[in-house]
Amino acid sequence: MSALDELKQKIIFVFIEDQRYMYIIKGLRTTIIVTLLALLLGLVIGILVAVVRTAHDQMDKKGLTGLPGLIMNILNAICRVYLTVIRGTPAMVQLLLMYFVFLASSTNKVLVAVLTFGINSGAYVAEIFRSGIMSIDKGQMEAGRSLGLGYAMTMQQIILPQAIKNVLPALVNEMITLLKETSICGYIGLNEMTRGGDIIRGITFEALLPLLVVAAIYLAIVMFFTWIMGKLERRLRESDNR
Amino acid sequence: MITVNHLYKSFGDHDVLVDINEHIAPGEKVVIIGPSGSGKSTFLRCMNLLEQPTSGQIIFDGVDITQKGVDINEIRRHMGMVFQHFNLFPHLSITENLTLAPIKLKLMCREEANEEAMRLLNLVNLSEKADAYPGQLSGGQKQRIAIVRSLMMKPKMMLFDEPTSALDPEMVGEVLGVMKDLANDGMTMAVVTHEMGFAREVATRVLFMDEGVIMEQGTPEQIFNDPQNERTKEFLSKVL
Ligand SMILES: Nc1ncnc2c1ncn2[C@@H]1O[C@H](COP(=O)(O)OP(=O)(O)O)[C@@H](O)[C@H]1O
Ligand SMILES: [Mg+2]
Repeated sequence: MSALDELKQKIIFVFIEDQRYMYIIKGLRTTIIVTLLALLLGLVIGILVAVVRTAHDQMDKKGLTGLPGLIMNILNAICRVYLTVIRGTPAMVQLLLMYFVFLASSTNKVLVAVLTFGINSGAYVAEIFRSGIMSIDKGQMEAGRSLGLGYAMTMQQIILPQAIKNVLPALVNEMITLLKETSICGYIGLNEMTRGGDIIRGITFEALLPLLVVAAIYLAIVMFFTWIMGKLERRLRESDNR
Repeated sequence: MITVNHLYKSFGDHDVLVDINEHIAPGEKVVIIGPSGSGKSTFLRCMNLLEQPTSGQIIFDGVDITQKGVDINEIRRHMGMVFQHFNLFPHLSITENLTLAPIKLKLMCREEANEEAMRLLNLVNLSEKADAYPGQLSGGQKQRIAIVRSLMMKPKMMLFDEPTSALDPEMVGEVLGVMKDLANDGMTMAVVTHEMGFAREVATRVLFMDEGVIMEQGTPEQIFNDPQNERTKEFLSKVL
């Protein structure tokens, strides 16, 4: 038997027999679902936290007092604790804590993963957005306010659209990180793609082929998004010059 | 139109405005001159509360706007402001720059706003830029758009903070031209500028500020031809 035939046999044994490739296909689906939902949650949390942090810092300079000042200070303190704790502990530990402690009553592992990674990603997205907001000239806020637009309206209509544009590449980066990080979900028994490959390894006692395929799929997705990011950056640079 | 009583403003322990008292009547065109750092911008920015006064009263259209509970967003609609660096919204087209505030504040529907934007763009000869983006305009064009953006709100008064200082010399004229038209239409204006020609021609009153104080004021003839204060004389001898 030639080497090529041998490889063919192995591939059939590892992937085709008993439709074992489905472990990877289904795993890929779960990986993508968890990544996208977590990213969405992370974006929402990230924008809110970033707006609270910048609003607080801007008001601080103007010496805000009274009840609004108190509320801002409390919100800001919550956000800072959140950022410090989430960025200061491993995602793996957060996942285990969520699964075995905070959401121990839940049997929905996808939900546990989405919440964990959404909350985790939110902290990084918040800092990305904060730098994006701070990169916008303060004259933009003043122009909006001088027209009679409120702070929230100016933020929403004038500052955030520009900030989001500036941080899009960084957000795509965050998504790539997130995609790869979800591979630790196997530790709570969630059948995402990495675990799918690992299950095949366990059944067939073949490690190289299934894990190689899993790696190749991650790589393909990451390269696809890197390519998108490159195009995006070029488009943004062009629109800056218009 | 606007009355300023005992206005003080400090940044930390730096007293930038010291007991400013001023009244600007409807239709007046007040030009504020003075050396850099004398507090001209801060004075102007206190009038629409872009800077919060440390103490003092600002009465606009009969309302003390420094009081708690005043809807400052409502007040600012009636007080246009034009900045040295234009501050157009770069992610929006010219038409969108003009119509954003009136539409979002529900003062006009989209059709009305677009129509009004076109009318004003025609007045400043920039109607062909309606769909352009700020990055495609020259400085002079940007500043004329910025003025028109304020006018969309139909303000009762306009504040100008060195509107031509960031412009190449050949573009100063077109912006001053629009401001003169505005003055002739009876707009109440407070203008910080180093354009003494404009001050002579348009101002009903000239204020000379130095070290956070209005040192001297009078008609353009009085200030430019017969200044009394030593600091005024010294400043004018440098700029004229
Ligand atoms: N936001 C600020 N924080 C601290 N100091 C400021 C601020 N704005 C202005 N100043 C100070 O106030 C003084 C007056 O500034 P400004 O009103 O801009 O003067 P002008 O417009 O006459 O040049 C300057 O010394 C300036 O450094
Ligand atoms: Mg100034």
